[in-house]
Amino acid sequence: MSAEPGGSFNRTQYRLGFWLLLAPIVLWLGLLIILPHIDMVLVSLRERVASRQYEFSFSNYTTFFAEPLYWNTFVRTAVMSIIATVLTLIIAFPVSFYIAKMLSGRPKIALFILCLIPFWVSELVRTYGWMILLRETGLVSGALQWLGLIDQPVELLYNDAAIMVGLIYTSMLFMVVPLVTTLDSLDNSLIEAGYDLGGSSWHVMRSIVIPHAMPGIMSGCIVVFMLTLGNYLTPTLLGGKDSLWFTEQIYTQFITRFNWEQGAAFGILLLVLSSLIVWLGLKITKQSFTRVMS
Amino acid sequence: MSDQAFVSDANAEVQDDLACTLLSKHFGEFAAVDKVSFSISRGAFFSILGPSGCGKTTLLRMLAGFQKPDVGDILIKGNSVLHTPPNKRPVNMVFQHLALFPTMTVAGNIAYGLKRKGVPRREHEALINDVLDKVQLPGYGDKRIDQLSGGQKQRVAIARCLVLKPAVLLLDEPLGALDLKLREQMKIELKRLQREFNTTFVYITHDQSEALVMSDQVAVMNKGRFEQVGTPQELYYQPKTAFVASFIGDSNQYVGQVQEQVGETISVVTEHGVRLLSHSSQPMPAGSPITVFIRPEVMQISMAKPEAKQDNCLQVTILRMLFDGARSQLQVETAEGAVLTVALPQTADFHALEPGRSVYVSWQANQCLCFPVSPVAVQ
Repeated sequence: MSAEPGGSFNRTQYRLGFWLLLAPIVLWLGLLIILPHIDMVLVSLRERVASRQYEFSFSNYTTFFAEPLYWNTFVRTAVMSIIATVLTLIIAFPVSFYIAKMLSGRPKIALFILCLIPFWVSELVRTYGWMILLRETGLVSGALQWLGLIDQPVELLYNDAAIMVGLIYTSMLFMVVPLVTTLDSLDNSLIEAGYDLGGSSWHVMRSIVIPHAMPGIMSGCIVVFMLTLGNYLTPTLLGGKDSLWFTEQIYTQFITRFNWEQGAAFGILLLVLSSLIVWLGLKITKQSFTRVMS
Repeated sequence: MSDQAFVSDANAEVQDDLACTLLSKHFGEFAAVDKVSFSISRGAFFSILGPSGCGKTTLLRMLAGFQKPDVGDILIKGNSVLHTPPNKRPVNMVFQHLALFPTMTVAGNIAYGLKRKGVPRREHEALINDVLDKVQLPGYGDKRIDQLSGGQKQRVAIARCLVLKPAVLLLDEPLGALDLKLREQMKIELKRLQREFNTTFVYITHDQSEALVMSDQVAVMNKGRFEQVGTPQELYYQPKTAFVASFIGDSNQYVGQVQEQVGETISVVTEHGVRLLSHSSQPMPAGSPITVFIRPEVMQISMAKPEAKQDNCLQVTILRMLFDGARSQLQVETAEGAVLTVALPQTADFHALEPGRSVYVSWQANQCLCFPVSPVAVQ
């Protein structure tokens, strides 16, 4: 009641508390996300005409579409990311189903932690681990020679398959966690009812488990796709110089060519185009973003 | 051929929809179901009644195929289903929390089983509409599950099973989650549906009223075994064991000693020293410990000593009145200190009663039961 002085005082206090609690996230969003992006947009929309002289121009964007290398690199990155996401899902789904539905108690927690442990090591170290395995003088090559399957060392690094392996390995946890969470929330009696009414394992999976797990599948896929698309380390280390990953193009523009305008335009394009792909994915699977993320 | 001889033999009697022989299931040392045998004739409403943890859910899950019995056999329409997986068994189950698929509509839920059974798609609509009419939810096909009330969900869960025309419908305490009023309605509704579809129902519950109201036959289960199988009336009036006597209906229970037996009438002295006459068809040696069961509703209350000869007549003092409408009761105490609960009819005669007043309660010997005290005394 506003008539009571105490009431209005409480309400002011409540308001103040609300804003104070909100402040960190507002600062974080504003200073680290929104402001840099506004600046990026502004930088990307100018063209250097002479030393320290800039003009408003869309040329940075037209370059992206006019130059096949850039455009193709982006398409290649997007397609590879989509394949990596799908493969991650295919590998992670049975793992998550096993953890969530077949196990209980201690083994369940143990297996879940086993999925988590590789992520206590930095991504760089994990990727070097793969390089030790796959390089010409690496473990796999050595083992194949020892078995007599090949007669000279074989280079397994610096190809698309190596990139794919690295990307899937890096992304697994981000798929397993949302999947285990949604599958855990599926009532076992629903699965039993699916069998009881005559369904085979395939039918139960397709008509009951997957529709229930759809929000988890989509949120896992979005996270994995975004992480893969924006990944720099894994494609560069495992794919080598010619891995043609779009983030490398951005890096080159900023660092090697010192062409910040072009780099900023690529950054914005990456954001817009990847958001478009996620939006399309949600439309195709008929999921809403709010449901997927809750 | 011997096979044919067997079939015609079975047809000569009423063919059983479901039969179990010496079914057992152990979890480690614990016997959840212990050598249970029974058979259910076609179109019967069969209830398995027991306290929680008595093994009734395990038994039902074995019938549905979700658990494998250690020993014993399950026959559905004369054929063993021991090696038939749940999705191939001609039984369907209404789950305790119904397990309706929330990602599908009402019609989708019902169509799920039809699709799996290979019913042609063009027949689905007619079948779905027909079964929805029968469960009195016409036109509900397009509704989402979360738009339904508790009672409506019940009906959809039942319709989803009955549309498949199973040999046996298993129901796992489906009324447990409903409020009292709705539960009373659904009891009558379930009985009606069972008649209308003429399907054998196996219903498990811990609520005796559900079992007694709906069933043709009730099995009382305790510690993995069937204590007694019979009609609700038999269980109520002629319980065979102390457990059944105490589990079905309310009873005043007294531990006492046999004084003597004359024919089927026994005279007993309870631990309080009250002398009673009771009925027992089995011989009870003098001096043996027994438990006497007297139902509150067999006792008659009177202000003055009854003139007609009663086998048992006690002068008692009213301790308190427990008003509960038609189920009101009177707690009384004998001069020896034994406390009895007596049903209090809501008639004008007894409006003047109040605590502290002295009244008489009386009943015939054949209206109370007694059983030898066993180590597994209940409560």
